[in-house]
Amino acid sequence: MDRGRAVLAAVALAAALALPSAAGPFWTGLVTQMYIFGLLALSVDLLLGHAGLFSLTHASFFAVSAYTVAILQVRYAVPTALAAPAGILAGTLLALLFGLAVRTRGVYFILITIAFGYVVWGVAHRWSSFTGGDNGVTNVPFPALGAAAITSHTQYYYLVLAAVIVCGLGYRVFMRSPFGLGLRGIKASESRMQSLGFRTSAHLYAAFVLSGALASFAGVLYVYYNKFVNPVAASFPVSVEAALMAIVGGTGTIIGPFLGAAVVLGLRNWVSSFFELHAAVMGAVFIATVLWAPQGLVGIAGRLRARFGKAKERTP
Amino acid sequence: MLTSAVLQAINGISLAALLFLLASGFTLSFGLMRVVNMAHGAYYLLGGYIGLTIAEKTGSFALALVGGGAAIIVVGYLIDRFLIRRTGENHLAQVLLTVGVAFVIGDVALAIWGGDNLMVPAPKFLKGAVILPGDVYYPRYRFVLIFLGVAVGVALWLLYKKTQLGAVVRAGVDDREQVNATGINVDRLFVMVSGLASFLAGMAGVAGGAFLTLYPGAEWEILVYALVVVIVGGLGSLEGAMIGALIVGLLDAYGRWLLPEFSYFVLFGPIALLMLFRPRGLFGREY
Repeated sequence: MDRGRAVLAAVALAAALALPSAAGPFWTGLVTQMYIFGLLALSVDLLLGHAGLFSLTHASFFAVSAYTVAILQVRYAVPTALAAPAGILAGTLLALLFGLAVRTRGVYFILITIAFGYVVWGVAHRWSSFTGGDNGVTNVPFPALGAAAITSHTQYYYLVLAAVIVCGLGYRVFMRSPFGLGLRGIKASESRMQSLGFRTSAHLYAAFVLSGALASFAGVLYVYYNKFVNPVAASFPVSVEAALMAIVGGTGTIIGPFLGAAVVLGLRNWVSSFFELHAAVMGAVFIATVLWAPQGLVGIAGRLRARFGKAKERTP
Repeated sequence: MLTSAVLQAINGISLAALLFLLASGFTLSFGLMRVVNMAHGAYYLLGGYIGLTIAEKTGSFALALVGGGAAIIVVGYLIDRFLIRRTGENHLAQVLLTVGVAFVIGDVALAIWGGDNLMVPAPKFLKGAVILPGDVYYPRYRFVLIFLGVAVGVALWLLYKKTQLGAVVRAGVDDREQVNATGINVDRLFVMVSGLASFLAGMAGVAGGAFLTLYPGAEWEILVYALVVVIVGGLGSLEGAMIGALIVGLLDAYGRWLLPEFSYFVLFGPIALLMLFRPRGLFGREY
C-alpha cells in the first residue's frame, strides 16, 4: 500500500470512528446500514467481480440467516453466542444446496438464481406458522455475549464497523491467495483453467458457498440492527440491489461495494424524503449505471486519475 | 379426492396457458435476439392495467385484450430500441437494465392504478360456472383461458414451423450472421419478433388480470413462473415453453393443494433435477 492510500485509509477510519459523536443518531443508523448492505454487496461481488457469476439469490442467504437468528433469539431465548453462529450456519447450508447452480453458466445461472431466490421468499411469506408471514419476527434484542451486552445503536455501530474491517481484511487476503487468483483465472478463461488442470466447477462451487457464508454474516448483522425480519429481506429487490451496489461502486474491488451501498442507500434515503416514486428513481439508477457507468465509481475514479496523471506528466 | 385432483389439473392447465403466453415471447426473443428481458413481467402488469382501463371505459373484453397487447407493443419497441439495444449481448447489463425498467414501470403503474388488487372485468358470457360431470361447478373463465392459450400456441407453432417467416426466424435462431448475409433484414425480423413478444405479454396481463387480479408485485411473481418455464423448457425453444408451462402449471396447482405453505418450494424440485441431469433444460442448447 503506497503512502497516499495509507493516509486515505487513516482519514476514512478516523471519520468512521468520529461519526457517531459528530453526526448524531440518524447518520449513525444510516451508515450502519451502509456497512451491512456493503458487506452483502461484497459477498455478491465475490462471485460477480472475481468469478464472473452474476447471482441474484444472495438475499436468500441474508434472510435465512437473519430469520434463524431472530427465531432462535426471540422464540427460544437462545443466547447470541449460539444464535449468531447458527444463523451463519443456516445460510451457508442453503448456499451448499443452491451452489448446484454453478453447473450452469451465463444466462441460465442468472435465471436459476432468480428462481431460487423466489423460492426462499415464497417460503418466508407462506409458512406463516414458523416465519410469522408478512409480519415476520419482531423484537430481536441487541447482541449480548455473557455480561458484555450492546445497549445502544452507537455501540452497535462500532461493532459493525469492526466486523466490516475484519471481513474486508480477510477478503483481501483471500482474494490474493491462490484460490482467489484461480477464480480470476476462471473469469478470464474457464477453458484455459480447465486445460491447466483446475476443476473449475469445484472451484466455483467453493466460491459460491463462501460468498453465501459472507452474505449470511451480513444477515446476522442486519437482524440485530433492524430488530425484526420479514419476507422483504428475502425478496428479489434486495438481491438485485446488492448487485447494483457492487456495480455502482465498482466490481472486483473491496471498497467498491461499500461505496455503492453508500450511494444507493444515501440516494434512496434522500429521494424518498421528497419524491414518492423512489422505486422508479432506483430503476433509473439501474438504467443509468448500465448505460453510462458500467465500471462504477472506482472505474470513474481510475479514468479521472489516468487523465489527471497524464496531464501532470505533460506539464511538469 | 379424485374430483379435487381433476379440478387441480384444470387449474394447473389454465395457469399453464397463461404462462405459455408470457414464456413463449420471452423464449423467442432470447432465441433470436439473445435478449434477456426482465421487464417482461412488468409488460404483463402494465398491459393488464391498460386493458383494465379499456374494459372499464368501453365494456369490451376483446378490445381490452387487443388494446393491452397493442399498448405494450409500443412500450416494448421504445424500450428495445432506445435502451436494450445499447447493451449489445452483455446479459448482465441487460438483466440490470431491464430490472431497472421493470422498477420504473411498476412504480409508475402503482402511482396511476394504486396498490389495491384490481380485477379486469370479464364479460358475462365468460363468467359463471361450468357444471362438470358429477355436479362439480368450475369457473368457465378458466376454460376460456385454456382455449386462448391453446389457440395462441397452435398459431405460434404454425407460424414458426410452417411459414416462410417462421423458417427465417428459426434460421435466425440457429445462425444470425448467416441469415443476415443472405440478404434478409434481420433487424426488421427482430422488431417483429419482439413486437409479438410484447403483444403476448400485454395480452397475458389482461387475460391473467381477469382471474389472478393485478397488484403491485404481480409482475415479479408472474415473471419468476415464466422464468422457471423457460429454464425447464430450455431457452429459445417454443416446444420447451409449451412443455415447461404445463409442468410448472401442474406442479404449482398440485403444490398449492397438497403443500400450501411450500407451494413455491415445489417449483424448486424440477429446476434442481434439471441442473443435475440436463442443465440446458429439456429442449435447450448451449448459449
